[in-house]
Amino acid sequence: MRTFVVAALSLTVLTSVAVGQAAQSWPREFPPRPLQPRPVTFPEFEVRKMANGLTVVLVSQNEQPAISVRMIVRAGAAQDPKGKMGLAMLTATLLDQGAGARTAQQLADEVDFIGGLLGTGAGTDLSFVNTVVMRDDYATGLALMADVVRRPTFLSEEIERQRQQALSGLKVAAEDPDSVAGLVIDRLIFGFHPYGLPGAGTAESLQSLTRDDFVEFHRRHFVPNNALVAVVGDVTHADAMAGIERYFGDWKPGEVPAFNPIAPPEPTRRVIVIDRPDAVQTEIRLGQLAIPRRHADFDALNQAVKILGGEGANRLQQVLRSQRQLTYGASADLDSYKWSGAIVADTDTQTATTAEALRLAVDEFARLQRERVGESELEAAQDYTVGHFPLTIETPDQIATQVLNQLFYELPVDDLPKYRERILGVTPDDVQRVARAFVRPDRLSVVLVGNASQFVDSLKGIGFAEYERIPIDRVDLLSADLKKP
Amino acid sequence: MAVVAAALVWGASTSAASRPPKFVYQRLQLPNGLTAVLHQDRSTPIVNVQLWYHVGSKDERPGRTGFAHLFEHLMFKGSRNVEPEQHTSIVASVGGQANAYTNEDTTVFWQTVPSQFLPLVLWMEADRMATLRIDEDTFVREREVVKEERRMRVENQPYGRLNEIIYEQAFTQHPYRHPVIGSMDDLNAATIDDVRDFYATYYVPSNVTVVLSGDFDMDQAVGLVNQYLGRVPKAGQPVPRDIPREPPQTQERRAVVEDAVPLPAVVVAHHITYDGHPDAYPLHIAAKVLSDGQSSRIYRTLVYESGLALTAFGQANLIEHPNLFYAVAIVNPGQTPAAVEKALIAELDRMKADGVTPRELQRSKNQFARDYILGRETVQQKATHLAHAEVLHADITTADGEFDIFQNITQADVQRVAKTYFRPETRVVIHVMPKGTGAQGAAEARR
Repeated sequence: MRTFVVAALSLTVLTSVAVGQAAQSWPREFPPRPLQPRPVTFPEFEVRKMANGLTVVLVSQNEQPAISVRMIVRAGAAQDPKGKMGLAMLTATLLDQGAGARTAQQLADEVDFIGGLLGTGAGTDLSFVNTVVMRDDYATGLALMADVVRRPTFLSEEIERQRQQALSGLKVAAEDPDSVAGLVIDRLIFGFHPYGLPGAGTAESLQSLTRDDFVEFHRRHFVPNNALVAVVGDVTHADAMAGIERYFGDWKPGEVPAFNPIAPPEPTRRVIVIDRPDAVQTEIRLGQLAIPRRHADFDALNQAVKILGGEGANRLQQVLRSQRQLTYGASADLDSYKWSGAIVADTDTQTATTAEALRLAVDEFARLQRERVGESELEAAQDYTVGHFPLTIETPDQIATQVLNQLFYELPVDDLPKYRERILGVTPDDVQRVARAFVRPDRLSVVLVGNASQFVDSLKGIGFAEYERIPIDRVDLLSADLKKP
Repeated sequence: MAVVAAALVWGASTSAASRPPKFVYQRLQLPNGLTAVLHQDRSTPIVNVQLWYHVGSKDERPGRTGFAHLFEHLMFKGSRNVEPEQHTSIVASVGGQANAYTNEDTTVFWQTVPSQFLPLVLWMEADRMATLRIDEDTFVREREVVKEERRMRVENQPYGRLNEIIYEQAFTQHPYRHPVIGSMDDLNAATIDDVRDFYATYYVPSNVTVVLSGDFDMDQAVGLVNQYLGRVPKAGQPVPRDIPREPPQTQERRAVVEDAVPLPAVVVAHHITYDGHPDAYPLHIAAKVLSDGQSSRIYRTLVYESGLALTAFGQANLIEHPNLFYAVAIVNPGQTPAAVEKALIAELDRMKADGVTPRELQRSKNQFARDYILGRETVQQKATHLAHAEVLHADITTADGEFDIFQNITQADVQRVAKTYFRPETRVVIHVMPKGTGAQGAAEARR
């Protein structure tokens, strides 16, 4: 470990008054030295592949008498057919609303009765079904899960019920500034690439979905050669595998549809102001297209974005919160998906300081691209990432998640134990190179959701003379100008 | 190897079905009054350290709401040997995580770090407990951050004010009436003298419980706790506990409130008892039967069968002083708040009249066992359970003992507490209406 603590502390003369009970007698001293570290190794896991193509990850740990089974299917909102946004999401929601011989209520009752958990959902690139059961209920849990994954019934009345829930959910989300800002920034960054479209659907797309759509989406994508499953917890590898063989061994493989989306657009500077007149705060998002997860520069760019707005460094937080008190929180993330990715910065501030906060955030993108990062700043980001590693392998679920991620993004699982070397191998030169190659401060997409009339006049003064203003109830993600006619 | 070691340390057989292992720990009282609990778990080389200061928003004076939470922020502003804002960045520099939270009863500071940094964390915590730097400039600036936090969490979110609305209507005297984050006016009124008083009164060793959970050598850790936290001077006075009591509610309260919500919300609340009271456990079960999972009664009736509500949930908020059970439903378009209110009350009445079925009781116990087991996976979760038992129950054995209490609850227990607490005169009914529709809501509420 490098000179982390001593560098971070200074024994300067105090400029403020220490009011503590011990103010007079308390010693001035350096922090204590660390104890002897224990070696950190990536815990044991096993990856197997079944004859039907299902990939199985096994992690055995018997501290608590519970078993968790997590399945990932390689199809999510990105696979929604044209005009059918919300299909993956609603398909996933419907999986446990009737499956095999059980109705929705029977399924819920059985899961709850054994003190289990069953969750289904869809993300951008994947759908998932997760089950947690106590050790003695492993077979029961797998039987329920196999029905849910393989034999959903998609009853018309359940479709209607979930459709209505999803429509009501859209209504609530449409008034949530955080949610609106997220949808609009994705649309600006990814354009009409599937990542730019709303995975939760629109009122029109949800209305258009038929039972055939759900059956077809499930039939095409929910096949074993398109899925991964992890069994983790209080079960031996042999018992875990026997269960999976029994409940998923006769699952028939299928042909996985090709995926050829249109390319996302080149980054373009565009500022969208979503007007919400009763807002007391402005939600701010800035972003730009970046790289997919499986990219040679991922580690370097990830460290660069951590310096901009992640744990261990976070220039945005230092400037916006610690120095200027403009916000409770500011951060930036490298959101890298299967086919593409984005850098997105996120903060919020009271209406009057909207322009100032935006300017400062844009300046930090520019600084990252313009100036070489210092050794110590990069080390701080790396020390966090490397030091944090043992905290990410504490529970069997955390371990399985890391293995599943590697497999999902088609990265070598052998890289997991080499994590430390990989991160520490990133140099300031690498960060500078990727910042120049990928960071585009002059072409950022910007979304501001707030009380527009109170801040738009100040945007010109910070170099954003051009913006498009849209009332929050007229946002239309599917039109080129983002506005309902 | 790690797994075997863990099993030995836990010292528990895993043969009993779904019975979690018991905690093994050492409890110490330091000469300065500080309580320490050390729980060894060597399965991963990390350690979680939590300091529970037994002070929360219920200790605040009128006109100074939000102060306990504001003070939590100030604890990151430097002390004799730690520069402002460095606490978090030092922890991050070793890969750890640090944060804090404030609720009605406690203010909790926690960090999880690779285990070799245990001395560093104890040293930093002692430093700020004994020698916090407080100056006017820092205080005024941090207050602005807290105001942004309030805007973000409360004022700019749909339903962000729901909790405030419920507690404003349900409490008249007890400080639970006020939100933890406080009001803007009170935050503005706070002074640097308030900060100094609060620190001297509540941030003293006798008001602190520290819990260590994770990978350490027991003797070495006991030595470090004594070395660093033990040198914080003892307080000259006891911590005050003169908190106003809430007079019993003797008739139903009703309110219609307008707020920036997309769909109306209906709240049905009842005054209940406190965490640790014998009735608290059957009340937890009642709340689970009513609202945990898709097979719960409220979900089934209001969301699934009738479509009255977009979402509906209930909760027995059992904390240090008597608080509330409340059920909330968001009214679906085309449905009325009056119908939703009627359906919620009908579910509570049904529990009074018929209790719970044997299957529902067993299901709740199984769900409880699940939450108990899944809630004890990480060192942070383990430390939190031990601290909760020590600070809020004043009895650390409840960290394990509650499992059996829950498993022994009967149908009669649940029906008895339903009858005791779900009475019309202890009820609070609130309709939260979108702006401009309150009059309509008021007319319905009167019907």
